[in-house]
Amino acid sequence: MSLQSALQELSLFRRNNIRKSQETFNKGLVVLKAGGTAKLGEEGWAFLEQLALASLDIGRIDIADQCLLQLAEKFPGSPRVDVLTGIRMEATESPSTVLSYYDELLRADSTNAAAWKRRISVLRRMNKVEKAVEDLNEYLDTFYTDVEGWLELADIHSSANQYTHALEALSHALLLNPQNPFTFLQFAETAYTAGDLPLALKMFLVVIDMNEVEDEDTIPLGISVRAWWGTKLCSRQLVSSQTSHESNSNTPVPKNIKLIDELATERVLTAYSGEHGIQARSLVSNWMSGR
Amino acid sequence: MSNNAVSLYLDPQIRDWVLFPITLVMILVGILRHYVVVLLQSPPKVVSKAAMREQRALTRSQILRATASNSPIPPSYYTSISQHLSDAFASGAYLKDGPPKGDNASAPPNPITDPAAMDGMMAGMKTQMVMMVPQMVIMGWINFFFQGFVLIKLPFPLTLGFKSMLQRGIETPDMDVRWVSSLSWYFLNFFGLNGLYRLILGDANSADSSRDMTASPFAAGAPAAGPQDFAKLFKAEKDNLEFSEGLHNWVGNDVENRVLRKYGKLAPAY
Repeated sequence: MSLQSALQELSLFRRNNIRKSQETFNKGLVVLKAGGTAKLGEEGWAFLEQLALASLDIGRIDIADQCLLQLAEKFPGSPRVDVLTGIRMEATESPSTVLSYYDELLRADSTNAAAWKRRISVLRRMNKVEKAVEDLNEYLDTFYTDVEGWLELADIHSSANQYTHALEALSHALLLNPQNPFTFLQFAETAYTAGDLPLALKMFLVVIDMNEVEDEDTIPLGISVRAWWGTKLCSRQLVSSQTSHESNSNTPVPKNIKLIDELATERVLTAYSGEHGIQARSLVSNWMSGR
Repeated sequence: MSNNAVSLYLDPQIRDWVLFPITLVMILVGILRHYVVVLLQSPPKVVSKAAMREQRALTRSQILRATASNSPIPPSYYTSISQHLSDAFASGAYLKDGPPKGDNASAPPNPITDPAAMDGMMAGMKTQMVMMVPQMVIMGWINFFFQGFVLIKLPFPLTLGFKSMLQRGIETPDMDVRWVSSLSWYFLNFFGLNGLYRLILGDANSADSSRDMTASPFAAGAPAAGPQDFAKLFKAEKDNLEFSEGLHNWVGNDVENRVLRKYGKLAPAY
């Protein structure tokens, strides 16, 4: 692997926020050995940060320390390096030590968002979920536009079976990122788990509606298979039991629910018609007919 | 015309001792200024958590309102967020100093007494001084030593309209417009050297002074358009929120029919 191609790959990773730690580490080591950091100029520092994070990911703390040393020399007192040092400490020190380190950072500058987020993640790791949620709420009250934070909050709530709160957090994430079908899918699945079937059905349909590539003649792929399965699961229950379904969000059941059920059946079966899905098709059609 | 063109001879000494020095001095002063400004720059002010929360509270409701007519979230969630925000705005929960205690909160903050705003203004004044003083000194120097000098002849003809631009300081009605006076040469450099600075110092340099002439010292240090009365802004935003609540339309409202139509299960609506 030549130095040039490694550098190119690495800057691509940085730009697109790709984590691939092992690969980053291998390539980064080539650059580090060849002394490429000096040649990179300003970009060299971003590279060092990337390599430090990657080597922490795969447990090569020695390399991370090397990078950190160079960065700390160049930027003394930089909040970004401080947080990186914190991440390095998380790898070996006890959580309480790291926590007090982050506390100190936050006391110096209470708007250091990165340190705050790390602190919350450490709290969650220590199983202090209540404190983590409290902190995360306060964090999001200040930095409202952090989608990552809202998703994390939803995740914490879901893990504690508090689906209503999870849905609330997800609705903020949706407001901030309304073009992402995966957030809609997560909302739909959380609503399904919470038992709000009409809402879940609507949200699954929104995911399908967002997929502009798919139409009648194509085989559903990826996210839309999951969305069609979700639609099928919801509509199957809504059709079979005619009792009125309780919906916490007062979402009405669609009038032509039968048509939706038929369409969902058809689409799910279509998803299992390709070369890869054909073996499972009999299983799926069995399930479909056995209501 | 040709007779006219050779009517004036310039001593090469003028080129060596006036034209080049003026240009050189202006470039060097620009570079010096850049570094002085860099030195003068105070580190970015540390904003307290509460102040940042106050500044960003408006974004929350703006995001909510922007999505209202095609909202990704169902009505019950929308109204709960909207209600929560307008309650918070009404009670002043997002204000930096907490909810107002009496009715004395109506007075707008005075920028002169607010130390935070004063800092920003001082920073603007400081850079402004660094811009103005050297330029005044150079102009005085040129006016004192080289007043009325003709420095250079442009290699292309120009119309009479350029006379006032190129021959400032020389009051002759019939000299060819192509001759440039010392003061005009100063102004040409003053406005024209930015490209050179960008080449030497990089894009974000602060050597170009012509740009700062238009900037007011009061606006320079405070990009947030000065201190704002957030209490008033929040009150206004509350009304906007109520208005948007009426506009709310969930994307899921008619989604089943849209999907059914897309897959040909339902006749098209039109």
